[in-house]
Amino acid sequence: MPQNTLIILLQLLIFPGFLFLIMLAFIYEWIDRKIVARIQNRYGPLYTGPSGILQPLADFIKLLSKEDVVPDSADRLIFTLTPIFIFALPLTALLLIPIVDEKAIIRFDGDLIFLMFILTLIAINIILSGYGSASPYSIIGGVRSALQIIGYEIPAAISIIGPALSAGSLSISGIVEWQISRGMWTILLQPLGFGIIITCILAELDFVPFDIPEAETEIVAGWKTEFSGRKLALLRIGKDMEILLASALIASLYLGGAQYVAFIPPIIAFLIKTIAILFLLSLLRAIFARFRIDQTVSGMWRYLMIPAIIQIMLICMGIGK
Amino acid sequence: MNDAALMLLLVAFISSFALALSLYVIAGRISPGGVEKRSERTIPYACGEDPPPIGETRINCERFFIFTIFFMIFDVFAFMIAISYSAPIYLPMLYSLITVMAIILLLISERTLKM
Repeated sequence: MPQNTLIILLQLLIFPGFLFLIMLAFIYEWIDRKIVARIQNRYGPLYTGPSGILQPLADFIKLLSKEDVVPDSADRLIFTLTPIFIFALPLTALLLIPIVDEKAIIRFDGDLIFLMFILTLIAINIILSGYGSASPYSIIGGVRSALQIIGYEIPAAISIIGPALSAGSLSISGIVEWQISRGMWTILLQPLGFGIIITCILAELDFVPFDIPEAETEIVAGWKTEFSGRKLALLRIGKDMEILLASALIASLYLGGAQYVAFIPPIIAFLIKTIAILFLLSLLRAIFARFRIDQTVSGMWRYLMIPAIIQIMLICMGIGK
Repeated sequence: MNDAALMLLLVAFISSFALALSLYVIAGRISPGGVEKRSERTIPYACGEDPPPIGETRINCERFFIFTIFFMIFDVFAFMIAISYSAPIYLPMLYSLITVMAIILLLISERTLKM
């Protein structure tokens, strides 16, 4: 039993736990920046490490060692706690997703609901941090983030539930196992749900067509305006881990996640699939322009809600099971 | 089995929170400190202009009110769909149909109210 505990602890802290996930988050940020830069005809990070792969880590360390200015009007408790939560929540949620084999480190019935709860909690932390900074730009950014939730939350929830309905399990590991035993990926059965979740995740990550809460040309940096030094470092790595979480979630629900493909081990398959999703997200981020906030909210209700419910009805009728 | 997983989840959250907190504290040690309070550097960022008083930063959210109410109701709908995989087929279908009707009503009302 103590040996067993030791193995679980090692899994939790080293591989595929915290250390591995944080390094992967940095590498994914690098891939994302590189893809967007190449599409925009720039070079992207270039000098730190081989083709700039260490740039996100260097940025992180630089920000950690910089001065941390707290504005007078800020609510100090909220202002301090939100960056820490924005770092800790995606890291916890990533442990629910199977990476090395089809079983995650932490799995129980209903961990999909828990993951949706964490995704909402991150958004609520963003609203709180905007409110806590008490600067005009931050408050506008926070309110915009709150309005954006009203748009994307329900279609995202419904299209996350789609694979769970056909798998008959509310656990992410269960959905991955179902796809392996069915021998088919959910994306082929429910393409409508896949499109909806990609759109909603773009809004969840504040990526460009929906980067309303942090629109640089309008409100400086939105809810992030007042953060500096170590707090900004934690916010940035939290964002990286959210990107990793989003692509891992979509890869697990719709692309079969960590499974044996011929002789390729599950972890390699998982990495390839998540990088494919990341490529899709970065591509969409690079080629779109920003929507207005009212276009986002009413557009999500108009064009995403009804297809999402139609997808659910199709699953109920047995199409796409 | 489930109890062990929930225990592990708690441990995972506490340890990731502790990791974030320790990063925060260590960074506080190595970074230069000593920004005095109530100085020019600690006023909120406003591009060199005088920031408006906090009470005057108002955002008009009225036009999103109806979406907010629908959001509250539909969150419950999403949860009911999530736990309906063992229910008889007509139940989720019925819910979905009612929901589609409600959305069509919302879109019509949005158009007539010119929001």
